[in-house]
Amino acid sequence: MEALSDNSLMAKVRDGDLDRLGLLFERYKKPLYGFFYGLNREQELSEDLVQNTFFRILKYRHLFRGDGDFRAWMFHIARNVNHDHYRKNKLNLKDDLEKWQDRLSHTENRATEIQQEEEQQMLSMAMDRLPVDKREILLLSKYQEKKYQEIGEILGCTEGAVKVKVFRALQELRVIFKQLEKSH
Amino acid sequence: METKQIEELVAKYNEGLADPAEVKLIEQLIESGGIELTQLRELDLLSKEVLKMEAPSPSIRLDDQFYSLLTKEKKKLVNGRLTFSMPDWNIVFPRLAFVSVVLIAGFAGGYYFNRPSQNQEVHVLTQQVSDLREMMVFSLLEKESATDRLKAVGLTSEMNQVSQKVTDALFKTMNQDDNTNVRLAALEALMPYAKQSSVRKELIKSIAIQDSPLVQVALAEFMVAIQEKKSVKELQKLLQNKNTPKEVVKKINESIKILI
Repeated sequence: MEALSDNSLMAKVRDGDLDRLGLLFERYKKPLYGFFYGLNREQELSEDLVQNTFFRILKYRHLFRGDGDFRAWMFHIARNVNHDHYRKNKLNLKDDLEKWQDRLSHTENRATEIQQEEEQQMLSMAMDRLPVDKREILLLSKYQEKKYQEIGEILGCTEGAVKVKVFRALQELRVIFKQLEKSH
Repeated sequence: METKQIEELVAKYNEGLADPAEVKLIEQLIESGGIELTQLRELDLLSKEVLKMEAPSPSIRLDDQFYSLLTKEKKKLVNGRLTFSMPDWNIVFPRLAFVSVVLIAGFAGGYYFNRPSQNQEVHVLTQQVSDLREMMVFSLLEKESATDRLKAVGLTSEMNQVSQKVTDALFKTMNQDDNTNVRLAALEALMPYAKQSSVRKELIKSIAIQDSPLVQVALAEFMVAIQEKKSVKELQKLLQNKNTPKEVVKKINESIKILI
C-alpha cells in the first residue's frame, strides 16, 4: 500500500496534487482534534486549530522532505499552531484558571450523569488537572501511538528524555486519579 | 547496574515502596534504556487506559472549512501557474521580436540590394520592421528593470519615424517613470520631434509635472534651445513652487530672461 502511505501522499501534495491532502485530512482530523480538545476542551477552538494545522501543512508543503514520519511532522506543526494561538491570545492564559475550573465542573457533571463510564470520566478529569506540558506529552503519546522516537523529533529531545517525561506525567496522573477516587 | 538489581528496583517501585532517590534512579534507567515503561505495572495499566480513552469527534463544520480551504488553495495554484508563465513571455517576447527584426531587416536588405525594382515590397518589409521595433519598445517599457526601459527609449532614436503611440509612450515615461535617468532619456528621445506642435505642447505641460531638478533644468534648457515662448508660464509655476531647489530657480530665471 505504498501508494497510500502518509509520506507518499504528502509528497504528492508537495508536488502539486493538492487533492491528496483530503485523504490525509480524513486520516488525521480526529487524532488532531483529540489532541487539541485534550488540551483546551473547547470544541470550536479545537476545530479551528485543526484547520490552522492543515492550512500550515498546505502553506509549508514545499518544506516536507519525506525522510521523516509524516505524523511527527504534522504534530510538530500542530504544537506550533497551539503555541502561537496562546501567544496571540494572552488573555486566554489569564483566564486559564477560570476555564480550568469550568472544565472541572463540566467534567464533574458529566461524571455524575454517566455512571457506567465513571472510571473513564475520572481519568478524563485527572487528565484535565494535569499541567499542560504533562497533558501534552500524554496526548502525544496517545495519538502518536507511543512512538517515543517520533515524539522526540516533535519535541526536539531524545527518545530517552521523552520516556522520562511520560513517566513523570503518568506518575502525576496516577496521584491525581487516586485523589479523585478517594473523594468519590 | 546489574540486571538483578534493576529487577529488584522495579519490583520495589511496583510495590509502591521506592523512595525519591530510587525514583530518580529509575528515571535515569528509563532514559538510558535500562528500564522500559511497560515494566512499571501500574503506570503501564494507566497508560493503556489513556490510550483507550475515546477520542472526541469534530463536527461537520471542520470538514466544510477544510474542503473550502483546499478548493481555494487549488484555485490559487492554477492562477499561480498562469501568472508564473507571464514573466517567461516577458523575457522571450522581446528576444523573439529582436530576432524577427534582424531576420526581416536581413531580408529587406537583400531585397533592396538585389532587386531595386521591387521598391513596393521593400517598403512593406521596412514597415514591418518598424512595427516590430515599436512592439519591442512597448514591451521593454513595461519592464521592471530601468536598464530595459532605457534600452526601449534608446530604440526609438534608431527609428526614422515614430507613431503617435510611441510618442505617447515616451511622454508617459517622461512624466511617470520612477527613474530619473529613464525620464531624461525619454526627454532626449522626444527632442527630435519637437517640430510637431503637439509634441511641443506636451513638453510644456510636462514642465510643471516634473519633480526631479535634473529633468526640470533639462526641459528649461530645451525650451530655450527651441525658443518656445509659450513655456514661460509653466516655468514660472516652478518658480512659485517652494520645493524647487535654488539652483533650478536660478537656471529657470536665466531661461525665462532669454525667452522673454
